[in-house]
Amino acid sequence: MIRLNDIVVKFGDFTALHDINVHVKEGEFFTFLGPSGCGKTTTLRTITGFIEPVSGTVVVKDRDITHVPIEDRNIGIVFQSYALFPTMTVYDNIAFGLKIKKMKKQEIDQKVREIARKVDLSDEQLKKAVSQLSGGQQQRVAIARALVTGPAIICMDEPLSNLDAKLRVQLRNELKKMQKEFGITTIYVTHDQEEALTLSDRIAVFNKGYIEQIGTPNEVYNFSKTEFVCNFIGDINRLSDETVAAVNAAGGQLDPARHNYVRLERLHVNVEPKPGQAALDGTVTMREYYGLYIKYYIDLGSQSIKVIEKNDGVRIYEEGQQVQVILDPADVMAYEPSGENEVEK
Amino acid sequence: MNRTLDKKLHPEWLLRIFGIAFFAYLFFGFMLLPCLNTLASVFRAKNPDGTDAGPFAVIQFFLAGKMSKNIWNSLKLAVCLVITVNVVGVSIVLLTEYFDIKGAKILRMGYMTTMIYSGVALVTGYMFLYAGDGMLTAALKNAFPDFNGEWFSGFNAVLFTMTFACTSNHMLFLRNAIRGIDYNTVEAARNMGANPFKVLWKVVLPTLIPTLFSLTVMTFITGLCAMSAPTLLGYDSINPEIVRLAGSSSVDEAFPQARAALLSIILAMFTIVLLTVLSAYECKGHYLSVSKTKAKLQKQKITNPVANVLAHIYAYILFIIYMTPVVMIIVFSFQNYSAIRARRLDFSGWTLINFFGTQDYTYLNDRGREKTVVGAISGVFSNEKTLGGIKLSFLLSAAAAALACVIVVVACNYIFKKKNKKSGLILEYAMLFPWLLPTILICYSYRTYFNSNDIWYVGYQNLYYKENVRLLIIMAYTVTKLPFSLRMIKASFYSIDEELEDAARNLGSGGLRTFMRVKLPIILPSVLAVFALNFNALFTEYDMSYTFHKPEGTTYAMVIQGMLADATRGSNMNALGRRCASTVFIMVVSGLVLYLVYGVGSRDLGDRLEIRDRRRKRMEALRARFRKAEKTESA
Repeated sequence: MIRLNDIVVKFGDFTALHDINVHVKEGEFFTFLGPSGCGKTTTLRTITGFIEPVSGTVVVKDRDITHVPIEDRNIGIVFQSYALFPTMTVYDNIAFGLKIKKMKKQEIDQKVREIARKVDLSDEQLKKAVSQLSGGQQQRVAIARALVTGPAIICMDEPLSNLDAKLRVQLRNELKKMQKEFGITTIYVTHDQEEALTLSDRIAVFNKGYIEQIGTPNEVYNFSKTEFVCNFIGDINRLSDETVAAVNAAGGQLDPARHNYVRLERLHVNVEPKPGQAALDGTVTMREYYGLYIKYYIDLGSQSIKVIEKNDGVRIYEEGQQVQVILDPADVMAYEPSGENEVEK
Repeated sequence: MNRTLDKKLHPEWLLRIFGIAFFAYLFFGFMLLPCLNTLASVFRAKNPDGTDAGPFAVIQFFLAGKMSKNIWNSLKLAVCLVITVNVVGVSIVLLTEYFDIKGAKILRMGYMTTMIYSGVALVTGYMFLYAGDGMLTAALKNAFPDFNGEWFSGFNAVLFTMTFACTSNHMLFLRNAIRGIDYNTVEAARNMGANPFKVLWKVVLPTLIPTLFSLTVMTFITGLCAMSAPTLLGYDSINPEIVRLAGSSSVDEAFPQARAALLSIILAMFTIVLLTVLSAYECKGHYLSVSKTKAKLQKQKITNPVANVLAHIYAYILFIIYMTPVVMIIVFSFQNYSAIRARRLDFSGWTLINFFGTQDYTYLNDRGREKTVVGAISGVFSNEKTLGGIKLSFLLSAAAAALACVIVVVACNYIFKKKNKKSGLILEYAMLFPWLLPTILICYSYRTYFNSNDIWYVGYQNLYYKENVRLLIIMAYTVTKLPFSLRMIKASFYSIDEELEDAARNLGSGGLRTFMRVKLPIILPSVLAVFALNFNALFTEYDMSYTFHKPEGTTYAMVIQGMLADATRGSNMNALGRRCASTVFIMVVSGLVLYLVYGVGSRDLGDRLEIRDRRRKRMEALRARFRKAEKTESA
């Protein structure tokens, strides 16, 4: 469907994108994930045509669109700010693209009402000014406006970032539902890993203008290809040399020369270790109460390690309590030390 | 080769060439060349016998004569004004916004009256009260026979009038600054034991210093460049002298033109230095509130009862000073000519004749015969001369205000497109150039430079000749309004989300359509506001009108000034009443404009739709009530 081949984008002397290669399949929900300034929005803007690459090609359905004007690309876009025209009503906002295509009034009306119905906007809301709508409704208008012209692809640039936390979760679900209904190929940009993991079919993790990994949410989370990806996605513990030695003493095969990581939810406290698992003695130094779960900070002597336990009311540990942390060496992700790929947390 | 040619013949490319040519024409033709000509005229001064005098002769004459007195007078006025205007300006803002004074809303209305009438209308209004034959002075003379009836003339009168006339900026900017203070900072200071006056002195005032500094510089420049008050009240400052010299000839005095040029250059130098100081200060940055959850300022009670009473007395004395001219002008605009001449209210003499209609004037002459002057009494809208002035001012101001807006919108669009490029910056500085020059320098330069048939780029037409002067006035109005318009409209361009343009392009919209359909509607309220404010300022504009004054260019301000002279003649009996009515008319127009700008203009589409919705519902309810009443009647 969409192929980015060896895309290089430069701003003056600064290279924003280095040889980006992506293949997005038809109907897929594909997310560009990464910290600020990593190149994800630049890649999106290269696809939509706002940025022209120095080299490389953008191919959509086997057609090279690298130098095709923005308006002729047939790619819809939902902006971070939604970019709704404040001087127009909701109806006029949605109809804007159709009017430019010089469609008949009746046809415009029919299309606008049809798409409004699909995104759950009432006739009454169509008459309103965009400033009279809530954040969620505004987002629906932005989606309707992007979809009404029948684009082959829809690009979304952090569309949930200016909403409050609760609405963000609610709209995230709606967004996924709508994408499934419309079946449209979607490219989604976000720096929020939770958003990326819950929404996407596949994720491309960006860092400093490079793609670190492309994979399904499970692949990037559980089988992070690089140290950067494993650090950027989710919370993680890096094991100290002493902890690695302790694990190996219990029968583990960890390479002390590599950087070894284990996710918080893969560790358990005060359970019976299975064969091959290491039991590490420690003291609870702090606990963070999240409601759904509790995060414990456990001092193992050589390092402090974080563990998450379900808040089931059974296993609650007090600060200062002596505990045993159970670690399965199979859950450890190990990387060659490079130093470059670590992310600042 | 062909592709390049095609690209060059593209309409947008042609439009850009046309734009560059237009702005170059405007800048060089109507800003730089006329002013350079003024500068050069100092070096081209001629003796009465036609021989070259040279610049040193002009300077020598300048220093020896009373010219330096004009400069000292202007400086004296500017320095005194800075003190008095700041004292009154800060007082009125604190009294209405910071301290808890009873009746603050009414007080604020009174203090803001200078926003609806200024310049010649205000000065003539003050003269109506305080001049030798003025109402208040006459009353004071009656009460105290030793009272100096001529107190309201020269420096005293100018300082008094301008002190109260020039506080509009304080009411606009200082008020906003004080409202922007985070109240939590005041509470924090109180919490740490500071008393209210300590809080004012140590916490509130320091945050206002940047605004006060800007206001001080602007007031200083206003004092230096004062025109209407010194001219009408008789004070020898720079501007009236420049205009006098501009109209003088070398037969009457030595090098009048060169001296006028020298004076305007000196004035320009003062302005440039002051504005440079101001912008250097502004570059240092303001005290920005670091608070993310700003609390609204709450009025401070003056706990000391004596101080509280004194503050109230002070507030209401200021209110009386601000309101008396306004009330008197409004009241007397509805009085007949004999009541106005006697400056005494006649409760049986109410009339609309100062506004509408004409009357004959009958009197007994020296021989005891009755004589009638047909149409000697006429209203603002019936008097041919007044109506002519209103019409001319209306057209010239509207044309110039619109022209300035169009030029600036086009310029801003370009500036924002070329935000990080030199060409955008050059255009911006070119549009701000007139800000550096005093209005009088621009007008004087126009008057002298275009008063010839040799200027090729205006088609060898003398623009100061007969009706052409109107074109010259429009150009002067437009050029002097460019910097203000640019600052205001540029600010509104910042409010356009850059993603909107991208969104429009993504939906297939071209550059022109995006500008017309997306960007222009967003900035339109600001553009209309700038148009209205420009129009408001130009409609009763005095300084430029006075410089270009001639029969074909008699604007409204000059007509009002003319009424001062008319009032002393018997042939135009109600000139004084018409003057009052004119001021009332100006207040109504200005008030309406301000309402449209700040009331209606600030509503966005959502507000407008809501208002329309409410109106529709009200109408429906009304109709339903009628229908119900009809049904009950028929039953």
